[in-house]
Amino acid sequence: MKDLLRLKSSLTAEIEALLNEQIQKEAHSSSLYLAMASWCDRNGFDNSAGYFYKQSDEEREHMLRIFKYVSDLGGTALSPTIDNIKLEFNSFREVFEDALEQEIAITQSFNNIADKCLRLKDFMTMQFLDWFLREQREEEYVARRAVELFDVIGEEGTGRWEIDRHVSKIKYDSEPSGA
Amino acid sequence: MKIELPLANGLQEVFRTDAGCVYQSDTQNCLYVEFSGKTIRYKVKCFFRLKAIVDRIDLAKMASDPGRACDLEIITMCACENCYVLTLPQIVAFKELLAGAKVMLELNSILHDRLRRVAVKAV
Repeated sequence: MKDLLRLKSSLTAEIEALLNEQIQKEAHSSSLYLAMASWCDRNGFDNSAGYFYKQSDEEREHMLRIFKYVSDLGGTALSPTIDNIKLEFNSFREVFEDALEQEIAITQSFNNIADKCLRLKDFMTMQFLDWFLREQREEEYVARRAVELFDVIGEEGTGRWEIDRHVSKIKYDSEPSGA
Repeated sequence: MKIELPLANGLQEVFRTDAGCVYQSDTQNCLYVEFSGKTIRYKVKCFFRLKAIVDRIDLAKMASDPGRACDLEIITMCACENCYVLTLPQIVAFKELLAGAKVMLELNSILHDRLRRVAVKAV
């Protein structure tokens, strides 16, 4: 009897479901960053708004990468539906703390998929995830540095204006000699 | 569209229960589901879509709701001209049939991996 499952798709049902969940999470991230950009715009933090618009675009690009991978391997990529996006934040700092939390959650989610790939010996997807795991290193670094600006600069006086000015300048360089 | 089952035409039984049977056609790369008095042909993807739809039916809600509308469930799939109108016991039986077939398809895939693909690699 032919192996119809494998003929149709290289992905197991479990990995396909996990990747579709990740598509949903990336889309959620993209929408959340857009809400953060809107909040920053409304409150006069121009640079931070620009930073979150860029982050939103990046998350959408991540989502599309996974979407295409699932489709390319014969799976069914599910178009995500997004609701329950947090629109209001109590403070400028809370926006960045939430952004860091979001990145940590995304990293954890990729770790879980990688763990499942190893257990199922799905090395093709494992290799595909490699790019995302490296990307998350940068994403978490940038998000953490942004939160740290609140302690380094302080929010008193023109502190928030300074923080807003520096947010867009945060860069990640993995080379020890970088910076 | 009801399809007369060409049993002589290379169909192989994937999984059978008292309520029905799932067959695989290697020549057409598809599955035939025999249940509730009809036999319907599905592509592999459609079969799994059907299973997902059936799995989503809330049996506890059906059982506890006294409304007459809850005695039956109409199972339809987009781009599929067939539908099932099933009672609660039939849905339980349908779930069992589809779940069993899924396990057997996965087992077949594992056997192919272990016995054929790995063996080819070893040569």
